Amino acid sequence: MNIFLRELRANRKSLIIWSVCIFLLVLSGMAKYTAYSSGGQSAAVFNNLPHSVKALIGMGSFDVTTMAGYFAMLFLYTELAVAIHAALLGAGIIAKEERDKTTEFLMIKPISRKTVITSKLFAAFVNVVIVNIVTLVSCVAMVTKYNKGPDITSEVIMFMLSMFIVQLVFLTLGAAMAAFTKSPKASGSFTMGMLLIAFIISKITDLTDKINVLNILSPFKYFSYVDLVSGKGLDIVSVILSLSLVAAFAASAYFFYPKRDLHI
Amino acid sequence: MNVIEIEKLTKNYGKSRGIIDVNLTIEQGEVFGFIGPNGAGKSTTIRTLLGLIHPTSGSAKIFGKSCFDSPEVRREVGYLPSEVFYYDNMRVIDLLKYSASFYKKDCTKRINELAEIMDLDLNKKIDDLSFGNKKKVGIVQGLLHEPKLIILDEPTSGLDPLMQQKFFDLIAGENKKGATVFFSSHILGEVQKMCSRVALIKDGRIIKLEKMSSLQENSYKRIKLETKSAMYKDAFNIDGISKLELKGNSADFIYKGNINSIIRRIGEFELANLTIDEPDLEEIFMHYYAKED
Amino acid sequence: MNMYLHELKSLGKSTLIWACSILAIAVIYFSLYPGIVKDAADFKSLLSGYPAEIRAMLGISLDNITTILGYYSMIFSFVAICGAIQATNYGLSTLSKEARERTADFLLVKPVSRASIVTSKLLAALTMLLATNVLYFIGAFVTANLVKTSDYNVKLFFLVSLTLLFLQLIFFALGAFISVFFKKLKSVLPISLGVVFGLYILGAVLVTGEDDVARFISPFQYFNIGYILNNAGYESTYMITGALIVAVTIAASYIIYVKKDIHAVN
Repeated sequence: MNIFLRELRANRKSLIIWSVCIFLLVLSGMAKYTAYSSGGQSAAVFNNLPHSVKALIGMGSFDVTTMAGYFAMLFLYTELAVAIHAALLGAGIIAKEERDKTTEFLMIKPISRKTVITSKLFAAFVNVVIVNIVTLVSCVAMVTKYNKGPDITSEVIMFMLSMFIVQLVFLTLGAAMAAFTKSPKASGSFTMGMLLIAFIISKITDLTDKINVLNILSPFKYFSYVDLVSGKGLDIVSVILSLSLVAAFAASAYFFYPKRDLHI
Repeated sequence: MNVIEIEKLTKNYGKSRGIIDVNLTIEQGEVFGFIGPNGAGKSTTIRTLLGLIHPTSGSAKIFGKSCFDSPEVRREVGYLPSEVFYYDNMRVIDLLKYSASFYKKDCTKRINELAEIMDLDLNKKIDDLSFGNKKKVGIVQGLLHEPKLIILDEPTSGLDPLMQQKFFDLIAGENKKGATVFFSSHILGEVQKMCSRVALIKDGRIIKLEKMSSLQENSYKRIKLETKSAMYKDAFNIDGISKLELKGNSADFIYKGNINSIIRRIGEFELANLTIDEPDLEEIFMHYYAKED
Repeated sequence: MNMYLHELKSLGKSTLIWACSILAIAVIYFSLYPGIVKDAADFKSLLSGYPAEIRAMLGISLDNITTILGYYSMIFSFVAICGAIQATNYGLSTLSKEARERTADFLLVKPVSRASIVTSKLLAALTMLLATNVLYFIGAFVTANLVKTSDYNVKLFFLVSLTLLFLQLIFFALGAFISVFFKKLKSVLPISLGVVFGLYILGAVLVTGEDDVARFISPFQYFNIGYILNNAGYESTYMITGALIVAVTIAASYIIYVKKDIHAVN
């Protein structure tokens, strides 16, 4: 419990900064909606643009003239931002003892390394939940403010649920990397490298249908946002598969950390 | 010629105290001791002298120059910090060569000599070294360019007694060759062994600046004795005894003065046990404080 | 010179990895180009049916979209992001390295001025950024020539690729500037990612048109590739802004670094 509270406090400042940034991102992004929604003619253009052209200009497969479509496009940026937060948090919270040379302080305390991991993961989990709620609240508020069409609150909640799972994937990935790699400095870089690769893969598979198998490597592609926009909800198989990935990453963090020689 | 000139040096960290109005001059060839408890301002003084931190007011000069205005005076300075950290992914020899490259002379011979003396493996990675071995790298690193001024900031922590002895021999050798030594420590014994003059610093102020010889004349001893029969208080009624604690068969006090006279007095008792120690520094400081009040 | 070489050496491996990663992005995208160009005719006929103003809003220059340069301009932002992260990393880490690795007591008591330490470090990092750009350009140029379906203007290709260097200079200077404010910068990556993605996302969501003042906020918006392709040159306002940012932040980094107190390690 004391480690849990300590970690919450240690991450408070960065949590506040991230929350403010994400709120500003949603705010400024939504404020631009009017530029897209105005001009009825452009709606037709967007709908008829070839899939890969839309992908090239960063709109994916969404009709950005509707609120849900525009939200989905903006969501990709938001999701990227919170994924970065989760990955850095996951890697940092485990690796920081070694980075800050406090390993000896913590590890000679009468607690098992598993307890350490549990407390740290819970603290990180709470952070991630808060970021998710902040995003949800900002999105719902902003969408309501600018929306002239049908209410999409339930879609927004679905988006946030999918985002939460993606956050968990990157959080546990970061933790597993930090528990596994010997150099605490490198774990953050590794995790970010994998996140960037995942992001770029998601952009590339937008362009072509031939290499969709690569999407397995990209959590940004685990959920079909086109389906979410059209109100079909989350695919239960994807949810189960991603959650088992989360479980696997978390388990490997528990497995590797107690075994490793800590770098003092 | 004065190697170090510190005048009215003051450094504040925000509101908290650093050092206040420190004055010191150190002449060429001296071994100067700088002692005080942790947090007294020793490192602050040294770091200002080396040009690592900026003085709030006053000046700190080496060979008549400030390290900020003329960084090249540091060519003649060797520095050994209390904790050494180096680029982890380098080998020892690469680090030493990199260090040597700043001094514009060939130091290879000296590096090998020093490594030999300190028993240091030059081909290991710094990352793999123990704390004590890193410290040895620090010593070689600080001396490899045969500096005219050697600044030591609590240098012996982490060295085993054998290495400490080798290290002091090394410093003494450098001093014989003409190097001036500025030696900061919180261990009085270390300083007593080497230094010709000492300054005591506490709470950011220099409270005493004295020749070692005179400090040693009235050297302080903490004496504890146990006797077989009860002692009478008057027996300790002689000059130089302070902080006397007398409990039945045991006595505990600090003595300053001629060691022979106190031994003669103790000899009058039928002793069961006797220890004579260096008093810890705090006690000496307390003494100086008492005298100032 | 010794400090320059030392810093250069310590950046060697990372430069190679970054250059290869940045190049890999371009190569992967270029490898998709032949597939896309097949549908080129369809694209063109489809798009030309719409008014020019809509096409302008989409940021697509109709004639360019299926040429190798047009395609390059579309994918270049990913190259730019990656390059910006590298540059910010280098900027953030180079001057803060001594505090982070606790080697300040080693380097800063050497008989060299702080200004010359800053100069050596900045020059070493800049050399490596330049090397990254050279490697990237050669690689991207070769790949583009392998996948091209018709000839293209090499000068324009060069001008577009050169914006990578400009962006890196700006982000490098920003990174160096940010780093000198920290007493001890524990980890570099969160800040560099925050700066790069923050500015990128801000640019993406805030800027609507070419004349938008919001473009000044994000360096990613300083180099409008459509403009470069049409005019074979850069927009001078933004070039000057970029140069000013670099000059001011670097000068400030010098001043602050020289004045800084270097505290004992712990």
